[in-house]
Amino acid sequence: MLNGLFFAALIAYFVATVLELGGMVFKKEKITRLAWWLFVAGAICNTVYLIARGFIAGRLPLSNQFEFSTAFAWGVAVMLLGLQVKSKAQWIRAAAMPMAFLILSYAALQPREITELMPALKSAWFGLHIGSAVFSYASFVLAGCGGLRWLLQEKKLSNVQLVQLDYLCYRLVALGFLLLTIVILSGAIWAEQAWSAFWTWDPKETWALITWILYAIYLHLRMRKKMSGKIMAWFVVISVPVVLFTFVGVNTLLPGLHSYG
Amino acid sequence: LQKKLMKFLRSMTFGMILLGLILLCSFPGSVIAQGNTPDWYVQTYPDWHGVILKLGLDDVFGSWYFITLLALLCLNLTLCSLIRIRNVVKASKKAAASAAERRTKVFLTAEGTARLRQLLEERHYKKEVFEETTVYSRNAIGWYGSFVTHLAILLTVLFGAAALYLPRVTDQTCFPGQSLPMEDGASIAVESFQIENGEGKLDYASVIEIRLPDGRTSGQQRISVNHPLSFGGYKVYQQTYGTAGAVTVRNTQTGGEDFFILNEMCFLSLDGINGIWFEALYPGYIRDESGNFTLITQTSGSYEDPVYQVLLASEGVYTPVMVFPGETLSVGGVDFTFENPVEYPGLRIKRTPEAVNVMLFSAFGLMILGLWFCFFQPPAIVAVREEGYTVAGPKPQGLILELTALLESEIRNEESLC
Repeated sequence: MLNGLFFAALIAYFVATVLELGGMVFKKEKITRLAWWLFVAGAICNTVYLIARGFIAGRLPLSNQFEFSTAFAWGVAVMLLGLQVKSKAQWIRAAAMPMAFLILSYAALQPREITELMPALKSAWFGLHIGSAVFSYASFVLAGCGGLRWLLQEKKLSNVQLVQLDYLCYRLVALGFLLLTIVILSGAIWAEQAWSAFWTWDPKETWALITWILYAIYLHLRMRKKMSGKIMAWFVVISVPVVLFTFVGVNTLLPGLHSYG
Repeated sequence: LQKKLMKFLRSMTFGMILLGLILLCSFPGSVIAQGNTPDWYVQTYPDWHGVILKLGLDDVFGSWYFITLLALLCLNLTLCSLIRIRNVVKASKKAAASAAERRTKVFLTAEGTARLRQLLEERHYKKEVFEETTVYSRNAIGWYGSFVTHLAILLTVLFGAAALYLPRVTDQTCFPGQSLPMEDGASIAVESFQIENGEGKLDYASVIEIRLPDGRTSGQQRISVNHPLSFGGYKVYQQTYGTAGAVTVRNTQTGGEDFFILNEMCFLSLDGINGIWFEALYPGYIRDESGNFTLITQTSGSYEDPVYQVLLASEGVYTPVMVFPGETLSVGGVDFTFENPVEYPGLRIKRTPEAVNVMLFSAFGLMILGLWFCFFQPPAIVAVREEGYTVAGPKPQGLILELTALLESEIRNEESLC
């Protein structure tokens, strides 16, 4: 039953992605509308799956690569739904839907069994630290999707639309940056409680800092140097692999204190 | 030249260059294992060890160039914060007046303007009147977001460095019932320790008491992973754990008894010739049908079937023996009774000035607050005249667009107003 929900979400994201891209290429609004509702259904399955898993495990389902990636895909989906409320989701959903699918596909490759939380993770900071990371990464990924749309449709969109898209990317980066700051600071406090040092230059910490610096540069260029448009669109697109490396690459390639995650 | 240098040192360009360089240095620091011996690098990176050791890539984050970059970043942040606060105060004070001087961008009917004024007042915009223009403003705190954030980053780097380098940290083991004396006359007593909880799940925790030289004590407190004990400037962490053997020795002639912890190889004897060599303690064993032992050498929890490996020394003859808790070996006029193993904690004891942590936590809070002001409380200013309005503010064009769109959508609901 639980696995069924997971794969239902995965299939829904996949079919929604195919339909969204197909609808966009063939300019069939009905198909993209169907794609959207399928994506919503996928997001519901994803949500129910996470809640059910959390109930069974008796804790937040954020303790390993599988759970984090499932929550990450859910974060992307939920934020996309949130943007739809503000009627801005259609700007980025053709890029965001495949991202949700790919992230959940990565989760599908990980071991799915529910394990007990190791002592080091039993902390009041667990939810805030990892929960913020989910939404921070999701914001950066969605900003990247916005940047991609900007670059691909620069000539098709009006100037006002381009400015609005650019501004949406900025808002998403700003939100992601605030959340990443919370991730780093709550992680530092937690590290002091668990390992006695606020900062140990563990690869995960270092890459979180690298990501933070990267987006700090983006925000400075944007807010102080008044840069916008193409350069900033490229910036948010190129930054997405760094975010994904911080999430996946560090845990799999660089051993450290976060290797369990 | 001095002026130019100062201008560059406090500039955002310099800040960006420094951030870029810190980012570049962090990359090898995360990819190459840090803090190992030179021999380790020679063995692990046979082709690259020369470059790694020469450039200090074996300890990037402690290298002179990385610390210099951080120091320069602090300088940049200090200078730019000083300038920023002056500019921000000036700009925030003049914002309404300069918005009043702007030309009208969106034209409305008189009724439309009245509706706009009402809308802004309903949204609790602050109202200031400048001759023919009324300026409505909101989120004045947003002007200070950037300053607060930069100040917080500066404080975080400074107090973070203090929190990293000032504390004196020692790792010590202590058996239950014993206490560790500290340099200042304080002591840390370990009352009890467990590796597993009542349900047999891994949950290492100690009950300890910190006793200060002035007689104050923390009382008996439980510490475990994520739950250290802070008292009197000491912070004690449940860091590691171990299991040691234990033996009770009894002199068969005098009846005198003693108790020994066996946590390393040792020879116990009355006459120096006849006795036992303690070699090792194993967590468990598997015994096959023919009676052969296979020893289990590692476990993460408590020892389930502990077994001692000893050499029995008698008149120069050494006989290897496996002994189980509760069994007694008699040799050289001594009875050696092997007890159940003793579980003990590895404690990390940290002495740190509390003020540093308080300042660091304050800087953390300030940073979150600053970013919130910066991104989610951007100053919004609307200058309204008889003929229409204009939107002003220090933030990106998108915000002005968004505000304009919002106001337009509110007003255009009643088309006749526009």
